[in-house]
Parts: sequence; structure tokens; C-alpha cells
Amino acid sequence: VISELLGKKELHFERLYAAPVDAVWRAWTEADRLRAWWGPDKTTVADCEIDLHLGGRLYVVTVASEAMGKYRGTRWPMEGTFTRIDELQRLTYDARSWTEGSEATETIHHTNDLTLTDNGETTSLTLHVAITEIGPGLKAKLAVFGMRWGYKSQLAALKKHLSGPA
Amino acid sequence: MWVAYDDRVKAAVFSALGEPNRLHIVDLLRTNSFAVGEIAETVGIRQPQVSKHLKVLAESGIVSVEPRARQRIYHLQAEPFDQIARWVDSFERLWESRLDSLAGYLQTNETEEGQS
Repeated sequence: VISELLGKKELHFERLYAAPVDAVWRAWTEADRLRAWWGPDKTTVADCEIDLHLGGRLYVVTVASEAMGKYRGTRWPMEGTFTRIDELQRLTYDARSWTEGSEATETIHHTNDLTLTDNGETTSLTLHVAITEIGPGLKAKLAVFGMRWGYKSQLAALKKHLSGPA
Repeated sequence: MWVAYDDRVKAAVFSALGEPNRLHIVDLLRTNSFAVGEIAETVGIRQPQVSKHLKVLAESGIVSVEPRARQRIYHLQAEPFDQIARWVDSFERLWESRLDSLAGYLQTNETEEGQS
């Protein structure tokens, strides 16, 4: 029965971007470009290092701006290692994300699998994120619990984005 | 980014669930509410041990206890799991927002590069 609790929380995203595939690839793999969009709103990227080779490091620190009120100044680092690089097509990395100062309790380990498809003028993107472990070494048990207690994936946004002009 | 929630609650919940027997008890209580004796019998550990585990689970808000006749019946509480679910959910929303942001960036960047 316990084994039912084990498993991964899987997140799947799809987008269609009105840009050629090399622009999307560079946005993900060049530090100066990634800084410009990694956001999200009300945050800035304080640090960004991308060592784009197998086993290379991806390190991004996002900081809450003044606009985030009580969270301002909070730092959310993400550190990862590239596990697959197929130029312009596929990028995978294992990473962990945490809230600085609460690393022991607020760490999410995740694997990330990005696939780009060249449609000429546009690029299709799929991103698969698997949460493998949360908190102090609980291998996604609680994430699965979360699903049981009313976890809801938010794929509604997907349709909207795919039907729109990106 | 993702939602913060009470550090003490979070630490207590993670700590309480980090022990295999306690996780087993929680798993059992998901199906129904039980008295200590029933839990001991089903989980296969001695009653005094079960009582100790239930005490830890109660202190972290994972279970509540209801006196019924001469028994104490244990119930699972949803709130700690809801809190953790919200935390993990916020990670998903972060990615939604980030991928939207990429669309905006690509549009701006294309325009700029097109002009140069």
C-alpha cells in the first residue's frame, strides 16, 4: 500500500512560439538571453550561469523585487546539471530549486526535459518536469498526496496558448 | 515564486512523515478512522509504539483524536497536505508564468533583431 504513495509528480507544458527554433534554443541556452525572460513578473535574475555541455552546470538565482511586498529580497536559486543536449532539439537537466535560507524544508528536486520542434516560422515547445523529491528527502510522496487531496493540473492554459498566435 | 507557509508546520509535517511506520499509519488513516488497537493490529507494531507515533502525528496536525466511549479514535486531517499541495502547485504556476514570459521575450527580441 505504501508503494502507492511513491511516484513522481509530473508536470507537462506545451507552447507554440512565433519565433524560429534557433531563437528559442538560444533563449534557453545563453545566459544573457535567459536572464531576460526567466522571471516571472516582479522578480529579477540576480545570477545566471550556463555551462552548456553534458555534465555542465545551470545556475539561476531569481530575486523578488520590491513589487512582491513581504517577499521582496527573497532569493530562489535553481542549480542543475545538463544530462542531454541535442542542439536546437532537446535539452534535459536534473535540478533542484529552493528558497534561500529554507533549503532544508523548501527544496524541490526535479528533472526537466525540453523538446523543440522546428515549424519554420514558429517553434513548438514541450516541457516535461518531473518532481522527484520534495522537502528533506521525501521522494515525492507528498506531491502524490497532494494529488489525492485535490491536486489539479492546470492544463487549461495550454489550449488557450496553443490556439492563440503564441 | 512559490508560496511560503509556516516553517514550523512544514518542518513538523516533513519530520513526522519521514518515518516509515508513521507513513504507514497515515496511509491506513486515509481509508478510515481507527482506534489505537486497530491501527496496531493492521500495521503490525506494538500498541505503545503506535501511541508514540500517533502523538508525533497529532503534534504536527496530521491527525486529530476524538474520544469515543472508552476509545480514542484517530482521524487524518487534510490541512497539512493541502498546504504542501499548494506549495507544489505554486511550482507549476511558476512554470506557466515563465513560459508566457518567454513568449513576450521572443516577440520583443524578434522585432529588435529584425530591425538591426
